[in-house]
Amino acid sequence: MNSRNTPALALRGLTKTYAAGGSGERPALAPLTLDVAPGQLVALVGHNGSGKTTMLKMVAGLLDPSGGDILVHGHHAGHAEARRAIAYLADQPTFYDDLSLAEHLEYIARLHGVTDWNDRATDLVTRLGLSDRFDQLPGTFSRGLRQKAAIALAFVRPFSLLLVDEPFVGLDSAGKEALLALFADAHADGAALVVATHELGFVSRADRLVALADGEVRYDGAPGDTDVHALVFPT
Amino acid sequence: MTEPSTGNAALRALRAKRKLNRLGEVEWFDAAYKVYVAALFGGIALLWLSDLIGDEPLSDVHAADVLRVGPSLMGLVAAVAVAFGLRSGSQGGPLALEAADVTYVMLAPVDRRRALLRPAVQRLRGAAFAGAVFGGSFGQLAGRRLPGTAIAWFASGALFGVLVGLAWVGAALLAHTTHLPLTAATVIGLALMTWQTVAVATDVPGPADQFGSLALWGWRQHPVDLLAAAVVVAIVTVGLLRVGRTSLEALDRRASLVAQLRFAVTMQDLRTVILLRRQLSHEHTRARPWLRLPGRGGGDPVRRRGWQSLLRLPVGRLVRMVALAAAIGACQVAVLRGTTPLVVISALLSFVLGLEVLEPLSQEVDQPDRTDSFPVERGELMMRHLVAPAVALFPFALIGLAVAVGVLSRLHDAPGLGGSLGVGALVALATAYGGAAGSVVSVVRDAPDPMSTNNQEMFLPPEMAGITTSLRMLIPLVISGIGALSVLLVRATLRGPDPSVVLGTAIRGTVAVVLLCAAVVMWVRKRDAFRRWWRGFVAEGRTQSYQQRSSS
Repeated sequence: MNSRNTPALALRGLTKTYAAGGSGERPALAPLTLDVAPGQLVALVGHNGSGKTTMLKMVAGLLDPSGGDILVHGHHAGHAEARRAIAYLADQPTFYDDLSLAEHLEYIARLHGVTDWNDRATDLVTRLGLSDRFDQLPGTFSRGLRQKAAIALAFVRPFSLLLVDEPFVGLDSAGKEALLALFADAHADGAALVVATHELGFVSRADRLVALADGEVRYDGAPGDTDVHALVFPT
Repeated sequence: MTEPSTGNAALRALRAKRKLNRLGEVEWFDAAYKVYVAALFGGIALLWLSDLIGDEPLSDVHAADVLRVGPSLMGLVAAVAVAFGLRSGSQGGPLALEAADVTYVMLAPVDRRRALLRPAVQRLRGAAFAGAVFGGSFGQLAGRRLPGTAIAWFASGALFGVLVGLAWVGAALLAHTTHLPLTAATVIGLALMTWQTVAVATDVPGPADQFGSLALWGWRQHPVDLLAAAVVVAIVTVGLLRVGRTSLEALDRRASLVAQLRFAVTMQDLRTVILLRRQLSHEHTRARPWLRLPGRGGGDPVRRRGWQSLLRLPVGRLVRMVALAAAIGACQVAVLRGTTPLVVISALLSFVLGLEVLEPLSQEVDQPDRTDSFPVERGELMMRHLVAPAVALFPFALIGLAVAVGVLSRLHDAPGLGGSLGVGALVALATAYGGAAGSVVSVVRDAPDPMSTNNQEMFLPPEMAGITTSLRMLIPLVISGIGALSVLLVRATLRGPDPSVVLGTAIRGTVAVVLLCAAVVMWVRKRDAFRRWWRGFVAEGRTQSYQQRSSS
């Protein structure tokens, strides 16, 4: 199922509505149909509340769709094979209070069946500047360090589809450089990446730009062909 | 290199490691001592309070009533537990994981059923333990008035409590994993409760009679009642088998809410607990009010704002308020018939009912900056916020009265309230409004004190801080309890030499509650002024003492 012909991600009429008190419902995502090819780097932009996080969370399996289908390399979202393929870097990192960064890395790598996690973990913490915090509790880190720790946790296990939500928030310039390099490595290894961001400077690095507004796709194409700022902040 | 298998071995190993990390921080001797002290003093307190209450054994006629109505009445408790469980399950309950477990474990290619089995068993275990403690406590209280040994009653009460706890969590697991819609869960739950209520009020068999009959095993045993236990075990088993179908969306949402809820409970922040509970149960204020108020800008804006809030109460909260009123009515009847401890439950329920109806005032207290920006003195504003809730409470007092009258009509040799419905009405009003008076104190006290800072509390010695915290919790409950006590005055008169004066007693009790309510309203109005005066008085005393010392 993981062939080059099967999309890394296929959304078919995906919708999401939330209850809005009484009998009302608030649509968060209009029927959305989208294919992401293996190895493609997609920048996902949109104003606050446009549906970016909702879409990513549904693909990751953390939100139940109100309608439509999500296929990850041909497997329905939430299926064990889909979970094996997806790495999800959330906008709000979460950690166990009682595990060190090293223990987190070991845990997550082993949950994904990785046995030789140590070299990979050491390389990641070095690149992200976390070497001296390897044995510290990430739950006590500052915002930027938490983000770096979450990045390490997302990259310590193998994946073929990386979902990233606002990854640059809180990062210093060295952290941003390290993250961009990790994106480039994953891209070179053939993974598909969907990066939701407000950093419009990142868009030019992407193969494809998808702009959402009020839960609908307003633009889907090459990043250089449109005025991104006008898409995200329409007058 | 990756293993072909899933990460279940890693899950087991790391859970063991985390357990070791946690246990490593535990002082075992200290923990054992705490358990010993809690068990010893808890047991002694329970027995002492039971002796203190000293309710006399029931007469044969009353005992016959218990045998006749008891199974269906206790079955109603089980039906309510199942109904609440079904609603909880359809709203995302009953499981709550750590946020990190949702992100890392649930999104990993592990067997979700195996990963969720342990939290599910822990949830069942917690509910069963709580049920055993409550059931056992009530069982041994029942044993003081009914035939059978205290041990047998304690055991049967604990068994009933365990099964109620399991039924609640099991129903929630089943509803969640079968994706039972909330409307269906509500309809099934209401049907179950209505049928069982009819069974209490008439001789029609109820669906949970066998379940309720288990609570009377301290007196007599019917093997057929074990069918109820078997049904509960079956529900729990099916729920556990399907636990892998738990929604990740629900787990993700509940993870953060439950963490906040635990923190709020630790901080004894009642308002935050209430708000988080509402979020957990998807309880949204209605976008469209039940009724639109006529006109614009007429009358008192505070009162109008209060009605706008109350007219947006969601169905779930209204149903809960009706259930609270009905339970208060039933408890008052039980107290009237001699089960004194239920006066405490009645007071607690009326306190909670008061909190529900005081929503407009609570919303005002939640927005202190906005409140202080109004050109109205805060005390006066809060006092005006009491009008709409006071009116809205009235129908709930009537519901309590109706339930009490209905239950009394089912009992032999009922005291008859001195032949007057008026006595019952007065007791119902006193209980409802006295209970709400305690809620008012609880809500208003949470408003920021402009004369005080947190620093003042920080500098309190630990012993004083503990006492202050306990008093802060207890005072509103005690005030609510005063309202519920009026039924005891009525009972004492009915048992006394001249029961015909019971109406006079009820009036005196109600007048006392009216005075209590007036005092609470005055406190709300003058709270800031009184504090200002007190602080000035203390500061003046300090200044004079300093001057006297300086001159000498």
